[in-house]
Amino acid sequence: MSVRGLRIGGTSLAVLGLLLVGLVFGLSFFWVSTEASQGIAQRIFYIHVPAAWVAFLAFGIVALTSAMYLWLRDDRLDRAALAAAEGGMIFATIMLTTGPLWGKIAWGTYWTWEPRLTLTLLLWFIYLGYFLVRSSSENAERGKRFAAVVGIVGALDIPLIHLSVVWFRSLHPQPVVVKPDAPSLPGDMLSLLMLGLLAFTLLFFGLFLLRYALETLRDAADARERRATT
Amino acid sequence: MRGYLGQIRAIVWKDLLLEFRTRERIAAMAAFAVLAAVLFNYAIDKSLVSPQNIAAGLIWMTIVFGGLLGIGRTFNLEAQDGAMQGVLMSPAPKDAVFLGKTIANFVLLYVVAILVVGVFMLFFGLDLGTSPLALAGALALGALGFVALGTLFSAVSSGTHMGETLLPILVFPLLVPMVIYGTTATGRLLGGRPVAEVAGNLRMLGAFALVAIFAGAGLFRFVVED
Repeated sequence: MSVRGLRIGGTSLAVLGLLLVGLVFGLSFFWVSTEASQGIAQRIFYIHVPAAWVAFLAFGIVALTSAMYLWLRDDRLDRAALAAAEGGMIFATIMLTTGPLWGKIAWGTYWTWEPRLTLTLLLWFIYLGYFLVRSSSENAERGKRFAAVVGIVGALDIPLIHLSVVWFRSLHPQPVVVKPDAPSLPGDMLSLLMLGLLAFTLLFFGLFLLRYALETLRDAADARERRATT
Repeated sequence: MRGYLGQIRAIVWKDLLLEFRTRERIAAMAAFAVLAAVLFNYAIDKSLVSPQNIAAGLIWMTIVFGGLLGIGRTFNLEAQDGAMQGVLMSPAPKDAVFLGKTIANFVLLYVVAILVVGVFMLFFGLDLGTSPLALAGALALGALGFVALGTLFSAVSSGTHMGETLLPILVFPLLVPMVIYGTTATGRLLGGRPVAEVAGNLRMLGAFALVAIFAGAGLFRFVVED
């Protein structure tokens, strides 16, 4: 796909995603019914859970494209990994800010060593390592390889981190959608959550395409500069 | 297969011989461990907490911090004289180089780990509990996963201009399983609980070590490519 196509696709997805996020905000305040036990604070759930989903989805993309980059050495795969990592870090940050806001009201504390919260914090730091390795490597090609290694090891370790922090302690509300029996979430809440997931996913892929297009242009500019100097 | 093991043994032997002759890393790690225990002694108000209760956590933190000190310099000596090129151009495959380096680091770290436990016994009147063997096993499994990750990311960080500063940022988030299962196993064994109670922890430490070793052996060649 041409850069122009990427930018048009990215912009339209991002705009559509943003509009839907706006709609989710509106609906979560004025339409969906208030959850009985947690009250009004539970409405942040429609932002928090989709952000979490996208943050982990993005890391999956990072790991997959990183592994394929090491295998095929196609710069497009590395650009995809970078674009996904940046998007993922944004959504991990959203999740890490909305979670404690809710926690202060529901649990009475901003921070607790609750497994999913801990896992996201660690995910955030793995993303940070991913960017630091990339930016502190003198040669760009080496930075790409190092970053890919960080992405892959992070993805391999995440299940173990998850197991260990769950084993350590669990305070978090139990899953209400993806679990063996049917979802226990009332209909309107479930629909709004699904809309939130759609909105955040579209927004993520919009940002992803835009970032990917930017990186393509940057690589092309670098290549032109190199040709001009030699 | 014999050749492969021979290559690993050559790397291990080279690294340990170098370390035996210079004693740089082991001395730094051992001094760090003892000094950290001295500082811990003054950092704990004994009228509030008894050191025995938090000894397991302190032992593991000392091993992690002190260990990174030495592991972060795994590739320094070779980087200085371009000797790494020689090692990488040798017929030994890259994963043999990684495994050799990891084993050599493991030997160093395990010596330090035993020293740390000894120092804590001496300084804080710690009792080894009912099963020193299981304790040694927990330390060995935890240290193995730690050195495998540490060796891989030491190769990464020494290829960047941030150097060893980067290492904790890369390694600490990944070490969480080791710290959780390692400290609980150590704490319970020191507290005199039966070995059966920590069998699950030991298995998880083993799984962590396996994942770290396989990931490192598979990915090392991408790190040292140039």
